[in-house]
Amino acid sequence: MNERELITKAQSGDFDAFIELVDTHKGKVYAMVRRLAGNRQDAEDIMQDTLLKAIDKIEQFRGDASFGTWLYSIALNQARAQFSKSQQADLRPIEDYLPMNSTAGRHEDIGLFDWQDPHQALESQQLRGILNEVVAELPYKYREAFLLRYVEELPVKEVARLTKQSEASAKSRILRARLALRDKLSRIFEAEYGKELS
Amino acid sequence: MAKNCPDYINDLNDYLDGGVSPELCAEIEAHIGKCQNCRIMVDTLKQTVTLCREGKEEPLPEALETRLRSLLKQRWDQKFGQK
Ligand SMILES: [Zn+2]
Repeated sequence: MNERELITKAQSGDFDAFIELVDTHKGKVYAMVRRLAGNRQDAEDIMQDTLLKAIDKIEQFRGDASFGTWLYSIALNQARAQFSKSQQADLRPIEDYLPMNSTAGRHEDIGLFDWQDPHQALESQQLRGILNEVVAELPYKYREAFLLRYVEELPVKEVARLTKQSEASAKSRILRARLALRDKLSRIFEAEYGKELS
Repeated sequence: MAKNCPDYINDLNDYLDGGVSPELCAEIEAHIGKCQNCRIMVDTLKQTVTLCREGKEEPLPEALETRLRSLLKQRWDQKFGQK
């Protein structure tokens, strides 16, 4: 049975058809939710709310996108609703991430740490832990923009649409998130193995 | 007049994602060639994305699957009536 037929069946009350649709897409949706949430408990709550919402709204699904894309955008809205409740400090302005101290003026004053390949210096489990932590520390709106752009590999235009932002604003969030992550990783890597390199 | 490092920061992401004009691209590359910090900046920005893409996908935990199945069935029956 193809997706179209499953959707028609589900919309007329066939639970098994709905589950078949969910089973096809849940892995990908959960993977995104898991990264967005930063921890397993929140990820599970968001996943649950997403699927319940999908049942509530099943007849509104028009089929102009795939069922997977539809679930995906419900999940994003659920995640945003959950995390916009928690007030998080904003990121610093872009200028703060420049490879030089703006007051000192000459960038030769501060040499950036060149990580090279962190896999060489750190255990993969330790590295994974560091990465999860720095991504989870990003304020939600930046984390969302960054993950959609670079992990889900969506074009900026699509990130803007899904996050209900202008393209310029989405672009700025993506850049600031990337700069902030780079900055945090640099500090951690320099502390972890910087001395051995120099 | 030659640009300074701060003038490049807004373009670095577009440069990395392949979204700058050939002229700007050449200019950035010339700058990176002689500016150690901007070179490191570009390399590590690139690595930041590569590292974040790594990592295996976590499947749905089994307990969640089980819980979901009965929750969904319950909601479904509320909506469509038991079949
Ligand atoms: Zn420079």
